[in-house]
Amino acid sequence: MIRIVPRTQFGFWATAFPLLLAFSITVVVGFLVMVAMSEQPLSDTWTLLTFPWQARTASVQWGFVLQKSSYLAIMAVGLSIGFRANVWNIGAEGQFAFGSIAAFAAYLLFGMPDTTWFLPVMLLFGILGGIAWALIPAALRVWANTNELLTSLMLVYVAANVLNYVTTGPWKGDPKAGQAESDPIHESLRIASIIERTDFHWGVIISAGAILVLAFVVLFTTFGYSLRVAQNTPRAQKFAGFSPQMTVWMSFALSGATAGLAGAIFLSAETGKLIQSENYLNGLGFTAIVIAFLGRLHPIGIVAAALLISYVNVGATYVQSASQVDDAVADLVQVTALFAVLGTAFLSQYRIVFGKADLSTEGAV
Amino acid sequence: MSDLVIQILAASMLLATPLLLAAIGELVVEKSGVINLGVEGMMLIGGLAGFIGLYQLQSSTCTMLIGENCFASENSVNQFQYIGSLLVAAIVGAMAAALFGFLTQYFRANHIAAGLGLTVLGAGLSNSLGGNFFGVDYTSAIVASVPPLFPESWGDVPVVGPLLFSQNLLVPFSFVMLAAVWFFLNRTRAGLVVRAVGENHHSAYALGYPVILVRMLTIMFGGAMAGLAGAFIVIAQIAPKWTEGITVGKGWLALALILFSTWRPGRVLLGAYLFGIVLALEPRLKAIFSNMSLELSYFLTALPYIVPVVVLVMISRNPVMIRRNAPASLGQTFEPRS
Repeated sequence: MIRIVPRTQFGFWATAFPLLLAFSITVVVGFLVMVAMSEQPLSDTWTLLTFPWQARTASVQWGFVLQKSSYLAIMAVGLSIGFRANVWNIGAEGQFAFGSIAAFAAYLLFGMPDTTWFLPVMLLFGILGGIAWALIPAALRVWANTNELLTSLMLVYVAANVLNYVTTGPWKGDPKAGQAESDPIHESLRIASIIERTDFHWGVIISAGAILVLAFVVLFTTFGYSLRVAQNTPRAQKFAGFSPQMTVWMSFALSGATAGLAGAIFLSAETGKLIQSENYLNGLGFTAIVIAFLGRLHPIGIVAAALLISYVNVGATYVQSASQVDDAVADLVQVTALFAVLGTAFLSQYRIVFGKADLSTEGAV
Repeated sequence: MSDLVIQILAASMLLATPLLLAAIGELVVEKSGVINLGVEGMMLIGGLAGFIGLYQLQSSTCTMLIGENCFASENSVNQFQYIGSLLVAAIVGAMAAALFGFLTQYFRANHIAAGLGLTVLGAGLSNSLGGNFFGVDYTSAIVASVPPLFPESWGDVPVVGPLLFSQNLLVPFSFVMLAAVWFFLNRTRAGLVVRAVGENHHSAYALGYPVILVRMLTIMFGGAMAGLAGAFIVIAQIAPKWTEGITVGKGWLALALILFSTWRPGRVLLGAYLFGIVLALEPRLKAIFSNMSLELSYFLTALPYIVPVVVLVMISRNPVMIRRNAPASLGQTFEPRS
């Protein structure tokens, strides 16, 4: 007889056991996916796990991993602030787009300055653009009681249309390009690589700094504490001196800021120009939601999850080019990990007991 | 002019039907106290499954197979093959939903996180399987169109022809299901149990109702309806064609419809057709005013996503309405008290 009983003691294993279990499930299922999709599953799995050392230059592959995980981690940390307090901003993709648009707008507004000193201004405008777009669903939630989850998602599609509009209309660049795109920004405004010829650029460092600041706010300030309280007991939050409205405003402002910053960095470091939405937005804002849950909404967990998922993602792309295994393997591993983490999360509150009920040792339930 | 009106109405019926189907399913799910945000993902998986089913059924009975595609033009898809593919879509949709159900009901996962995960799973899985499923690339597979329910000549009858006789099987089905769900929820004992479970799962459990089983069943019903909605978009809305992310947010529109309807079946119908008309107007307005400014043109493209936001704001400003009709246990994880 298997029964589920609430935990009375919360030690190290209450947190570690579910995560270890989820990790094991992901590894097993991930390998089964590989068996299903590959003709030589063993060697392909080995390639996926050790790809940086298999590739011609390991630093390039590590650069990809760091670059991808920095975008995911910064956005996921921002989103997790709201998720902790049951404020559901799932429109980070749109705020990312607006960060890019605002950064480019600043570039045009100040007369296309050709100096690296202007870069911080662009990043600042990116942050402001993300915040501005995120505050729309926040305002609708606070003033009109509208479900922020649906409105923030709908605004992703609207933001994609705004991006398409500016790249085909007022800011249209080279008409001979195969896609709608703006003119490129000056080379001096492109974020430079730290290690030559890799994607490990200063944007990764900026993101890491922002993550540290946010992690400090969430873990060590009264405001962060009130958000953590809000997750389980909204009423107790009032005693900490924060109104639910304030929580909505702050959650959206912070998650919008991180998504906007990521968008501005992406513009400067990766593309150097705005491109029509289909070729510019690649779902980072949606993957960040998964990362936030994978990291159990904790900054350290999120950074670890972002690194792991990016590693698998870049590895899958490498395996695809090396031995024709569809890189959808990465998507499947990612979703398996998400479901495994969600499905085992209750084990940090409960434990599984084999045998008959013995109320004397389990306490009153 | 009246031609145009009828054309727009007929098109909006086509566009509203998948919204209606998915929303009916989700309505029952939410009435039982579960919020499943994975509608979009279930639509994608179900839609792809239906398309694969139709392709396989067609090529197994094809009289003129060239390479991997069927080129027999004469009625190469009949209603039975279509119904078969719809069944496949419904079953696969229900299976995807069951995954969500196991996570949220047995493993007590957060509804919102699991639902978002299901959407991610649906998008990822349908993208990869659509490109290569047992060696067939379904993004380039060709399948003949589904004939309308009635003889094609009936479609020429003025007004009722295009509106009633040239419609697809699922259009009348959506109305029948709407009526059936209304009857089930409001006039049957089983429907009362579903609503009781949604209002207060502890009371329902204390009365001896199997809360988790009821919820599993409603979740799977919702998945089956979302699968049908996806299959309709892929197979019947235009010509059968699979493209990645073909639902472009229709699943989320269906979720918005539930809020719009304040959990009442009649208003689900109203909302679905309102969104359907907006979706149908967009390309036609662009065709009529072909010299409209770029701003206006992009505004029209974004309109199907702006209208739901505006409508939701108008509905939500009256919190009494929502509180009176919303299932009280909506989105809460059920933990039986022993």
